[in-house]
Formats: sequence, structure tokens, C-alpha cells
Amino acid sequence: MTTGLLPPPLPTLMVIPTGIGCELGGYAGDALPAARLLAAASGCLITHPNVMNGAALYWSDRRIHYVEGWSLNRFAAGDRLLRPVASQRIGLLIDAGIEESLRHRQLQAADACRATLGLDIGPVVTTEVPLDVALTRGASGSSWGQLARPDALLRAAEQLVAAGATALAVVARFPDDGGSDALAAYRLGSGVDALAGAEAVISHLVSCEFGLPCAHAPALAPLPLEPDLDPRAAAEELGHTFLPCVLVGLSRAPSLVRPDQARQGDLGADGLGAVVAPAGALGGEAVLAAHGRGVPLIAVTSNRSVLTVDARALGLGAEAPVFEVESYAEAAGLVLALREGISPPALGRPFRALPA
Amino acid sequence: MRLEPLELWLDLPETGNLLPQLREALRLHVGDSVQLLRWAITAVDSSVAGSRRLRIEAVLLHRDEQ
Repeated sequence: MTTGLLPPPLPTLMVIPTGIGCELGGYAGDALPAARLLAAASGCLITHPNVMNGAALYWSDRRIHYVEGWSLNRFAAGDRLLRPVASQRIGLLIDAGIEESLRHRQLQAADACRATLGLDIGPVVTTEVPLDVALTRGASGSSWGQLARPDALLRAAEQLVAAGATALAVVARFPDDGGSDALAAYRLGSGVDALAGAEAVISHLVSCEFGLPCAHAPALAPLPLEPDLDPRAAAEELGHTFLPCVLVGLSRAPSLVRPDQARQGDLGADGLGAVVAPAGALGGEAVLAAHGRGVPLIAVTSNRSVLTVDARALGLGAEAPVFEVESYAEAAGLVLALREGISPPALGRPFRALPA
Repeated sequence: MRLEPLELWLDLPETGNLLPQLREALRLHVGDSVQLLRWAITAVDSSVAGSRRLRIEAVLLHRDEQ
């Protein structure tokens, strides 16, 4: 078979909500293999930093569009289009609360991405005061977070935009964990990422305010060696910063444009062919918006989390079909079937006759 | 400007497109001057017949406060 025989891409939205302890995608970019498979099956995958970010590890694929959560919600709702670009100029925003040695590590990571990968990074702006990030947990057990100085974050971002940045990488000092049970559980592969919720709040705020691609990397002191570290969390313990994946993701992140500025080649929600999400985590805006627009929903049952918000509980299914599958391998097969124009019920048994 | 966490339960009709119903219920609850920066449905109480009872966790953005 040659690539010329492949059908057109089926733009597919992949969502794995951050900070809810997903078995797959709840750690350090450990949904990347599933994203790569869905990108190959669909020919066009739109997904978010929680899926793609593996700290020092990353994967660059022209078929994968890296879109921050707030922007992903707006895209799914039809309020924004995605415009693929050759590259972005990434402004680096650094929290004044980061101590000098850790700050140097971030700058060296950025320099490494400039020198070794050829990314366009700069300028660098430091917030006028520490952002003062705090981590919290919701009633569900999901991680959430706060920052005391959102105004300082936005003023620094404004300086970067004025200086010509077309995408924004934020590095904020997160509270060190002195050895809590929650951190131990996460490192051993059974807990919720305590940082993720606050990270999402930061990137949502910047994206919402400036309408630019944005992603966040936390700055933390290194942890002591954990010999029994879960492989899914290991990518976060390879180096001094979590920044490389963010810079690589942003370097080719699509620009966000309003529907009235549309031009040929832009991706819109009306072109979506499928949305793939954990079966128990369907209560987010992007999934509900896409499904409400009639996009088939592929719900992966094996990707369990602290939530049990499934299609049956939400009463989904009237606007578009909901297909429950066991694994991402099965989801990719279903995406490929949709792309090929094969009706999914024909792939299962029993197969019922049409009503007489 | 400040951020505020929010947790609440909403009762929505059992049928119909969920997201528009949810957006309207949230708007009525938080008001027009406050922005929902991030939210998710984090639980569903199926014991209430004839409605969808949903727990929402969210972070609100208040723009006009120091």
C-alpha cells in the first residue's frame, strides 16, 4: 500500500483531563504512545499538553496539533480555528519566585532547545513579584490550584507579546513536597499528579487573556532517588527542568484564529471526525462541546481515573454515537474505520438485521 | 484580579444537549461579571429521578478585584 491510497485525514480530538489520576496519561507524558497511534490512524490529531509533555521527553509529529486546554475548549466549541504554522516564536515567562540556581537551569534548557533543536525562543521576562502558586484538591480527589498574583503573570505575558512572542512558555515555582504520601503514591504509580491542576489554571489564564498558544512547566527542587519509580512517572526525573517538552510542543503549535478570519488550511470543529477520551472522564468542556456538535465519541474504558463521569450517567448519545472501547489500540482501529468510511457496527457481532 | 475555587451541585433536565444547559446554569450561579476559567463535571448523582444532578469543580476569575 502506498500513502496515496490512504483516505483523507479524519481530524480527531484526543482528551485526557489533567490532574485526575488517569491510568494512562496521568503521569509524565505517558499518553504519548497512544497519541502517536491515534495520529497515525487519523492522519490529524488535536490534543493538549497533558498528553504530550514528558518533561525532558517529547515527540514531534506534524500530524499532531498541540493545543492548550482553554484553547482546546474554544476550538471544540467552534469559537476558534487552528492554523498550522512552520514555527512559533516562544516567549519565556519566568516566575520571580524561582531561586537563582533553578532559574539558570530553566534558561539553560531553553538555550539547549535553541542550540540543539533550532527553536526560536525569546525574549525572557521575569514577573515583577513571585506568583505564589498553591496546590489544592477538589472533593473528587482531582488536583486543582491557585496563584496569588494572576495580575503579575498577565503583566509579564503582556510584555512578551509586545516584544513579538507568538507563543508563551511559563515556568512557575511550585511548592516543594517534603515527602507526602500523595507524592509517594504518584511516584509509585497509584496517585494523582498534584501539580497538574495548578498548571492548567496558569496556562488557561494566559491563553484566555492573549489567545496565543501557551503551556506551563513547573520549577521544582530535585527529588531524592526512588528506586521503585513507576516508569510512567520516570520522564519527570531525568533532568533539572520540565521545560524541553513545552518548548518543543509550542514550537509548532497551531495559531488560534477567530472564525471570521478563516482561510484555507485552517482546522475547525466542524471538520472533527471523532473525539477520544477516558470513559469515566467525559464531563469536560471540550468533550461535551464536540459531542454536542454531533462528533462521534470514543470512550476508552480501561483508562480509569478518580472520576466516574461516563456517558450513561451524563445522558450522552442523543447528539452523536458513543462507542465504548477497551483500549487505545481499539480506539485507533475505530478511528481508522471511521476514516475509511466503514460503519463501526459492521465490525462487531451479533449483527442485527434492519427492521422489517 | 483574583482566582477563586468553586464547588457546587446543579440539577439539569434529564434530556437535551448538556453543554448549553450547563453553561446557562453556571452563568446564573456565578453571574456575568465572573469568568469560569476552568471547570469540569466531577460527579453525577443518579439517584434523582427525572434530572441530571451534577457536581462541578471550577476556578473562577474575578477581574475587578485586587
